[in-house]
Amino acid sequence: MRRISFLSILVLTALISCKEDKVEPILPDVPQLEIIVQPVFGSEYIIEDAVFTTVEGYDVKFTELKFFATNVINGSNTLFDAALFDWKTKGISMITVAGNKNNFSSISGNLGVGPGDNNSDPAAFPNDNVLNISNSGDMHWDWNPGYIFIKVEAKVDTIPNGIPLFDQNVVLHIGKNVNLQTLAFSDINWVNVSPNLARFSLKLDLQKFLQNNGQNIDLKTEFTNHTAPGQEAQATKIIQNFKAALSKL
Amino acid sequence: MIYRLIGISFVVLLFLLGCKKDSTIAIRTPYSLKIPSHFPDMIIPADNPMTVEGVQLGRKLFHDKMLSRDNTINCASCHLPQSGFSDPSQFSIGVNGAIGKRNSMPLINLGWQTEFFWDGRKKTLEAQILDPVPNPVEMHLEWKDAEARLNASEEYKRMFLKAYGTTKIDSNLVAKAIAQFLRTMISGKSKFDIMYKFENNITLDPGDQPILQAVTPSEWAGYDLFRSLNGADCFHCHNGPLMQVHGMKNNGLDATFTDLGFGAVTGNPNDNGKFKTPTLRNIALTAPYMHDGRFETIDEVIEHYSSGIQQSATLHPLIEFAFQGGVQLNSFEKNLLKQFLLTLTDYDFVNNPEFKAP
Repeated sequence: MRRISFLSILVLTALISCKEDKVEPILPDVPQLEIIVQPVFGSEYIIEDAVFTTVEGYDVKFTELKFFATNVINGSNTLFDAALFDWKTKGISMITVAGNKNNFSSISGNLGVGPGDNNSDPAAFPNDNVLNISNSGDMHWDWNPGYIFIKVEAKVDTIPNGIPLFDQNVVLHIGKNVNLQTLAFSDINWVNVSPNLARFSLKLDLQKFLQNNGQNIDLKTEFTNHTAPGQEAQATKIIQNFKAALSKL
Repeated sequence: MIYRLIGISFVVLLFLLGCKKDSTIAIRTPYSLKIPSHFPDMIIPADNPMTVEGVQLGRKLFHDKMLSRDNTINCASCHLPQSGFSDPSQFSIGVNGAIGKRNSMPLINLGWQTEFFWDGRKKTLEAQILDPVPNPVEMHLEWKDAEARLNASEEYKRMFLKAYGTTKIDSNLVAKAIAQFLRTMISGKSKFDIMYKFENNITLDPGDQPILQAVTPSEWAGYDLFRSLNGADCFHCHNGPLMQVHGMKNNGLDATFTDLGFGAVTGNPNDNGKFKTPTLRNIALTAPYMHDGRFETIDEVIEHYSSGIQQSATLHPLIEFAFQGGVQLNSFEKNLLKQFLLTLTDYDFVNNPEFKAP
């Protein structure tokens, strides 16, 4: 009997000693905040290949909508350092970060990249930072200061003859320190979409972008801008209109 | 008493054997990549960390003709150092003279790529490497046969044991080892790199200053043209230290497509005629150009973007002067642009002995 007990203990010891550490799954109990940006054209949601008509009568299909939001804070609370909205590739969700919605009833930040970062080596940002050139990709020009703050691209049919040609490319790329804009939203209603995730919804109204209180953008004649010399005034109008197009959904 | 001893011995043996995971504990040496100061970090897959043993193994496999059906070609056959690790032939010749339909892409800075092959059909380097061995127009050897050959080699068994802790060789481990070697093929020491660092206020290395002083006015002017919207307008697709913007694009080669490229991968007509945007590094060495190697010289490439753009539904919108056939450079500007493109050659890279056959 003693022999059996002895052997049992040894076998038990052998088995227990081989047991790997059991890893308990860590449930995400940290509250998270998400910001989404829904592109719209007036009251219509913009989806891929959807056609809208401008006030001038041109048919337009938006193909690329991107912008940087940086240094987004509420007082001493930082929501995030940098986020890239990339509608075509990532959809309408701009960023999800850890945070308590009670700390962010109001937020403010940059539309674009502040001079400190805009004048930095784009390879030097941390790997997970959207400003790292591995992540920013075509949102960085090849010189300093080099981030493109906003990017609107589209195909336009400027000949109202019923033939959907869409042969006019629209390429509006605005950057440079002088065009940095500020964003501010107050009385934010963070909507709980799950126990630990609250969402703030913005809209980007491209109709407003094209018609902003008399600052219209005529896509037939103002179809290209890269913030180049000679394009400064138009570049300022474009980014001001873009800022005006962003509002709470 | 004897039974007790036997019983204890059995249990102790069970204890010792039961906990053993690998047949051998291999000691692997971490490999430090030589990443230029103006490059972003290279993201290494967690399941394939860089090791000295892995790189050595990958280098041997890359140069081993055993991976082709008739032992006549290896990876290096279509990726020659003197051609910037591409193939000077329009279409590479595989086993038994089989000919593909696309030009061999240069192997350079692959650790930063996000699409592989001209049609972007693979998303990781390891996945890309699995393709050429069984491809009938390339090495044309079934992986099971390649694995059998490698498993019959005592030398490879030893090397895989050192690199991956196993003597059971399979295609995934082969791909991992070659991927490790390819990730070491980093090019960032051309004259352009010094110009780029200077333009971006990045600290120059001690040896950079004399090279910077040697940059000619024509090369600077060509760089300006390269980045000018009203000049050559190249930077939209080729910028940053990698000299490329990732993505699949239609660069106006054809009005109708005989090769759908990315469209054949996705099945989406909006992707027809789109191909991977390659780096321009070492462009002086990597002729012929484009996915089908249709252009033999840099001059032909410049002429394409100057006057040869073909309109189509999927033409990339950033080719903004397509309505007039291209950017319309004059001969003086074309020459300046070419002078700049020649600064992209990295002779240290193509002559690096670490990339040659072991």
